[in-house]
Amino acid sequence: MKKTVKGRWRLAVALGVVAALGVSGCGLNEDNASSNTSTDGSVLRIGTTTDVSNFNPLQSLSKTDSWILNAMYPHLLRIDENAKKAPELAKEYRYEDDGKTAVFVLRDDFKWTDGKPVVADDVKFSAEMIMKYKLGNVAAKLTWVESIEAPDATTVKFKLSQPYAPFAEGVGFWMSIVPKHVFEPAGDLSKFPNDTNWVGAGPFVLDSMTKGQRYVMKRNESYPLAPGGKAAVSKVEYRVYPDVNTMMLALRNGDIDLMGTPVPVSAAKTFEGDSKIKMAKVGALGFAHLTYNMKNKHLADQEVRQALSMSVDTKSIISAVLQGDAQEMAGPISPIFSDYDNTEVKPYAFDPAGAKAKLTAAGYKDANNDGFFDELAFGVACDQSNANMTRVVQLFRESAAKAGIKLENECVERNTFLARTKSGEYDIDASQWGVFDNPMDQLRSTYLSSNPGGINYNLLKSTEIDKLINEAAGTTDPEAFKTKIKNLDKVVHDQAYLTPLYVENFRFAYNGSKFTGFAPSPSDLLGMVTAYSLAQVTPVK
Amino acid sequence: MARFVLSRALKAVLTVWIAITSTFFLLRLLPGDPTSLMVEGDMTPEMQAALLKTYGLDRPLWEQYVSYLRELLQGNLGISFRQIQPVADIIVDRLPWTLLLAGSAFVITIAVGIPIGVSAAVHRGRWLDRTLQALGIGGHALFVPSVAMLLLVFLGARLGWFPIGGAIDPDTRGAAAYLSLAHHLVLPVLSLVLVQLGPYALTLRTNMIEVLGEDYIRAAQARGLSARRRVWKHGLRNAILPALTLMGLQLGTLVGGAVLTETVFAYPGVGRLIFEAVGQQDYPVLQGAFIMLAVTVVAANALTDMLYAVLNPRIRL
Repeated sequence: MKKTVKGRWRLAVALGVVAALGVSGCGLNEDNASSNTSTDGSVLRIGTTTDVSNFNPLQSLSKTDSWILNAMYPHLLRIDENAKKAPELAKEYRYEDDGKTAVFVLRDDFKWTDGKPVVADDVKFSAEMIMKYKLGNVAAKLTWVESIEAPDATTVKFKLSQPYAPFAEGVGFWMSIVPKHVFEPAGDLSKFPNDTNWVGAGPFVLDSMTKGQRYVMKRNESYPLAPGGKAAVSKVEYRVYPDVNTMMLALRNGDIDLMGTPVPVSAAKTFEGDSKIKMAKVGALGFAHLTYNMKNKHLADQEVRQALSMSVDTKSIISAVLQGDAQEMAGPISPIFSDYDNTEVKPYAFDPAGAKAKLTAAGYKDANNDGFFDELAFGVACDQSNANMTRVVQLFRESAAKAGIKLENECVERNTFLARTKSGEYDIDASQWGVFDNPMDQLRSTYLSSNPGGINYNLLKSTEIDKLINEAAGTTDPEAFKTKIKNLDKVVHDQAYLTPLYVENFRFAYNGSKFTGFAPSPSDLLGMVTAYSLAQVTPVK
Repeated sequence: MARFVLSRALKAVLTVWIAITSTFFLLRLLPGDPTSLMVEGDMTPEMQAALLKTYGLDRPLWEQYVSYLRELLQGNLGISFRQIQPVADIIVDRLPWTLLLAGSAFVITIAVGIPIGVSAAVHRGRWLDRTLQALGIGGHALFVPSVAMLLLVFLGARLGWFPIGGAIDPDTRGAAAYLSLAHHLVLPVLSLVLVQLGPYALTLRTNMIEVLGEDYIRAAQARGLSARRRVWKHGLRNAILPALTLMGLQLGTLVGGAVLTETVFAYPGVGRLIFEAVGQQDYPVLQGAFIMLAVTVVAANALTDMLYAVLNPRIRL
């Protein structure tokens, strides 16, 4: 009897182990029958940080999703290495009817992977579905569209309710084009997961996936933007590493060939001395900034905002926080947009003593002689998971104290921070804009009193600024438009609505002994993994 | 026995209900909402409101709760906000990996912990005992992700003995797939075992020392029973009872540890799913995952209680 009990235990344990292995092992690699990739030298393996959460490119709002989806679904325009719009599916665009009609002329050599050509009807359908179901962040960019026409296979006309200068740039860059003949039968596209049988027209299209582990994309045999009419790399495999340190180890170990996500500044030295790892450096399409809440009666005072700007030692911040690897800014327009270069606008020089004198002259007093002006105490809110911003706030706090301004560090957990910024519960917001593809959209989103993008963190309501923005937005002459944008840059700088801190550089690490030819674009959204870049990559012989 | 099982089952249901309710309300107490974490800019208040309506988050909290419970009773865990897929499908995809990881760590901790704990007690004050005490105290101070990263750097990157992350080489088939599975499992399991083993073996050692001093052990010695029989049959059977309770409790820690371990090792389990869903405030996925974990821990504890009764004849069910 005892032996039987013992036997049962052993049997139970053995069955448990077999069941556990079986549950995990069985069916695990079933859906990868056609995807044996690891031994092929022309397979580019890229590290990503999360699984694809949504395969519908009209809906997805995730950066890592876009890396995979943008390689499948073309856009009308792309952003090149100089942050300028370049042709992708559209070979050109123009405005007609005094700026009230935006016309895109498409290439005629893009093909979906099922052999059908990419035509104007696909573009019209994509835009109309976004408008109908209010999908993703592109819906807001189509606000002005009254109707869309596709008079022939390569022409798309967007009729606008009013001229909007960067309409074509914004929609052209952000909107994914989907195959009408595949998406239309799906019905309600807000509920369409698009998670199987993919048809794309980018350089690669998803072939198989093992959720939680990898996404395998096969080459589109017809991609006109690749040298030779198709990508040189036969497959692209995305592997998921949620922890960036693990991803770095995987690159060094040869498990992946490129990190899709940038290497943190503090870790860049890890790759020094590794001859096969190369680094590509790109700028950002956003920037770090301190934004002042105009609802605070003291921050509504231009003298105080200017004094605060004079109390920020941006040079030291760039040197200490980013080890010197960033660009300084003056006004709200990033220097990466070279067309709007405003050389006469200079950053506020770091001068705490001057700031103190300015505030004294403006009537602020230190009655109790504690070294701080009596009324000038502010909280600086930031996302504490952003190590760079947390350090910036600390340095700002120390330098502002020299100017007699007392600052409290109010860096909090990310969700709390985002909730506070949305509801305006802060004095000074220290954060980083992600991606602005053009200055006009940026100025509208951040300063228009109607707060169309929900990110007017100044909570500014200025009829003067509204007027300047609306005038610029309706200007279709390129030179006049640039002049108006530069003027806005100057006005915002003079008003010191914000103190721009820096434009960060991103470093992307890849195995240079195996692959070359990447065409990186600015920002961590685009980086090395745009459709165009992946189409240019060649294996090293 | 039937009465015990019934009362235990009722308690388990109550515990799971409390877990469901607290998860539901705690998630909604978090600042912000799922729309606040989406791409910044270009989201008009109207679009935000439309999204909240789609997610059903515009309704009063109690209404959301009642509707959630009703769906849950019908076996429906909801649809993920981000993945537009049934939560149950998403979790079922990931669950086997967590079971394999946590289960292996659990079994190894017991299989290695028992002999170490017993040997340390028997050879009290000798090197094994001293080492165990140091490791036991150290184990409490170890942080799973730090151990995991150290293992990855030295055993994975430097020595190249183990792969860097992942759960299996997706290109392998048949026996090679099982070998690859085991190969990928070593470091994540080791990091969990290293953290769990010390405290577990140390508890067993303390119990064992106490038991070995009992009269019945001396009586067994007087009756001429061999040392091996005294220790392993009479001693261990009594010493293991408190350790059994600890094992049940440790299962909860193990599951918590799996969240971090899976993230560092890029292991595709429920832990990593939770990590990703927290970043996206994907309430349905988080609720589903926490319910599943709560059920696992409650079931394991219920099982421990029953095992306790089987092993200890003084407890009559």
